[in-house]
Amino acid sequence: MTSIAHDKPTQPLLEVRNIVKTFGGVTALSGVTLDLLPGEVLCLAGENGCGKSTLIKIISGAEKPDSGEIIVDGISHSSMDTTNAIKNGIQVIYQDFSLFPNLTVAENIVLTSAVASRRHTYSQRAARPAAQAIVEELGLKLDLDADVEQLSVADKQLTAICRALVSDARILIMDEPTTALTHTEVERLFIIVERLRARGVGLIFVSHKLDEVLKISQRVAILRSGKNVVTDLASTLTPRTIALHMTGLELDESRNISELPPESGVVLELDRMSLEGAYQDVSFTLRRGEILGVTGLLGSGRTEIAESLFGVVPHESGIIKIDGSPVRIHSISDAIKAGIGYVPEDRLTQGLFMDKSIADNIIAGSPDEHATRLRMLDLRAVRETIQALFARLRVKAPNVQAPVRSLSGGNAQRVVLAKWLARRPRILMLNGPTVGVDIGSKAEILGILRAEAAEGMGIIIISDDAPELVACCHRVLVVRNGRVVDILEGDDVAIDTIREKVAA
Amino acid sequence: MKLTDPRLEPLSRMNDSVESGWSRALALVRIEGGVRRMLILLAVAFVIFAALRPSIFLSGTNLRNIALNSPEIGVLAIAMMLAMLTGGIDLSLVAMANLSAITMATLFTAMAANDPGQAEQMFPVIVLAGVAVGVLGGAINGLLISGLGITPILATLGTMQIFNGIAVAWTGGKTLYGSPEVLTGIGASTLGGVPTLFCLFVLVAVAIGVVINRTPLGLRIQLQGANPTAALYSGIASRKILMSTYLMTGLLSGIAGVFFIARNPTASADYGASYVLLVIVIAVLGGTNPNGGFATVFGVVLATLTLEIVSSGFTALRLSSYQYAIAQGLILVAAMAAEQIKWRRRRNRKPVLQPT
Repeated sequence: MTSIAHDKPTQPLLEVRNIVKTFGGVTALSGVTLDLLPGEVLCLAGENGCGKSTLIKIISGAEKPDSGEIIVDGISHSSMDTTNAIKNGIQVIYQDFSLFPNLTVAENIVLTSAVASRRHTYSQRAARPAAQAIVEELGLKLDLDADVEQLSVADKQLTAICRALVSDARILIMDEPTTALTHTEVERLFIIVERLRARGVGLIFVSHKLDEVLKISQRVAILRSGKNVVTDLASTLTPRTIALHMTGLELDESRNISELPPESGVVLELDRMSLEGAYQDVSFTLRRGEILGVTGLLGSGRTEIAESLFGVVPHESGIIKIDGSPVRIHSISDAIKAGIGYVPEDRLTQGLFMDKSIADNIIAGSPDEHATRLRMLDLRAVRETIQALFARLRVKAPNVQAPVRSLSGGNAQRVVLAKWLARRPRILMLNGPTVGVDIGSKAEILGILRAEAAEGMGIIIISDDAPELVACCHRVLVVRNGRVVDILEGDDVAIDTIREKVAA
Repeated sequence: MKLTDPRLEPLSRMNDSVESGWSRALALVRIEGGVRRMLILLAVAFVIFAALRPSIFLSGTNLRNIALNSPEIGVLAIAMMLAMLTGGIDLSLVAMANLSAITMATLFTAMAANDPGQAEQMFPVIVLAGVAVGVLGGAINGLLISGLGITPILATLGTMQIFNGIAVAWTGGKTLYGSPEVLTGIGASTLGGVPTLFCLFVLVAVAIGVVINRTPLGLRIQLQGANPTAALYSGIASRKILMSTYLMTGLLSGIAGVFFIARNPTASADYGASYVLLVIVIAVLGGTNPNGGFATVFGVVLATLTLEIVSSGFTALRLSSYQYAIAQGLILVAAMAAEQIKWRRRRNRKPVLQPT
């Protein structure tokens, strides 16, 4: 064994050894081992359902492992509870940040540590300096007196980071920290991460965005089906090799678009569509069989354009033509009647009936299309549609009666997609179709969209995932401050060009 | 839960989920959790009272009384279930039913004053008028809730007071007597030993069951209640759905009004005053999720029978109606507690494909 002198600088902050966890006979983790060094960013990668969430819950004390040990600062624990984890300096920042929207930034930063230390009264005067100190130490620009609900997503995240540091976090776990951030905000976050590293904090990133993760982390641990597959230096890995380890399959993110036949007509045409305060003079065309990307920063107006086309927030002026004839879209039912479908951004609340079965979800958009003349459901037709889509989209579930809540992100998104495909719309818009979806599902969902386009559907993908846009879009619209500033075609549809145009 | 990759599975595995004819047949008789619980409760209640007072409880009169009491309460409970299925509630059901019964009694008395024979012949018109009053009340609720967007509990609290007030002012608070003989005849008749009213109740229950489970409207009602936002984004017109729902609850109230008067040729503004809360208890006990989206008609029918059995059992044991009220509350609380405990256990056991 090595000498203590040699060992000391690299004693891990946190080690987990041979963690096993089963749920009712199902093994979620089978002997996972990893360690986290001070001042290190460790990326935890893996497909949905590989056990990442369970591992984090075990480290943070939300779940108890069946066996194995958790070693913090050289002291072994057979399990954690949440209070103990916080006392040991372990903090998790979840995707929704768990902040109190009606309290100020300063209050949010200080309150939980005050509660944790069992103080029963709260003094605003004592609280503010503590919050101020941490914000200044990290060199942040945060308005301490602003209500959290008014902050941008990025600032909310910074608030959550400050809150963790006030409680002396030394092990910071961040779940999908970059998903809701724009390119520039991600850069800013990474600067903060560097400062945290300099303080000796160890960070674990859980993320699907592999290229970003590789930029910031020193090591990457990859889980597959509850096992460590690989833990290696980030410098030796590429997104491609990570994806390969995660899925056990080759990932194909190369550009794959079909040639549009010259005779394929325009299915959708927008002429100077405007909505005060959201977007102005938006004009573009979409051809049958075409996949059109729409990208831009959060708040650029890209989502509003889609929601207007779907009748959620009707446009004020301009003309929408479908198959050459002008249509009036003032409500969602107008849009659906005109042949438009929309897979919304917020899958869980807008797209799915979580406690209803997969079958009910698939048929939710098209009961009338499956009715007999007597206004009864044609059960045979319903069953055929559901089974065909369930099989074709390869929804991973025991059967169609399973509630959607039991599905992973990728499978849930397939169900939303199935709901629209059951109607066979002429135009399908998808907002962030692969957010929170694992790599394997992502490739499959893009494949399904390509196949639908090949059969003549016009598809619009609203996304800030440049590789995804490059992989499947014929053209990409760039929206900035409510205006379409660029339409990228041909060789211009490239990752670097898209990022450059979006951030410009 | 399998953690294997679906792409690695042969396609035939995926087809396991394609239900065979056999499993489809099984699905027809598959008994959902809520219904199974009600079946057990029903059996337990029946056995207890039959054991305690067999001579009274198992007598033909008592069993017939159970079958005669259930229809009106059952129909109202099914109406309550429908409102709850959309995530709403309808407090005005009993008031509408009374208004319907009062309309029929008044119409009949007025006609019979001129020509008793003709009044008897006009019996279908009288019944239709009674049902129409229920539908009208439902339309008013529907307009308030779907058109103006008033919260169902407040809208129907308001209309309950209005309908009640109209009924009291109209009758002067007195009980009206008078009903076509055909109607009271139906109320007293039996089909193969089963009271006709009970058969009609079963018919209504089956009809509503078909509407909920076998029609586009029913599917939309369920989805609207399960998640109004996702319903909106799926192109479900919530206004139309809510309007249809409250029209149906009004229609069912009208039918309950007909049942009232068929059983007893009287009508008054304060009949069934305890029914409003009782039908809420029955609907929830029958497995209706008050947050919307989930309910079974069969469960509600069983819950109706269970509470009627307890009620008549208490009478057989010479217990008071107050003690019956306590029992109602206890049954509801116990059933809900059992549900919560079961749910919590299942959640702790829960696994699996959690989104990361």
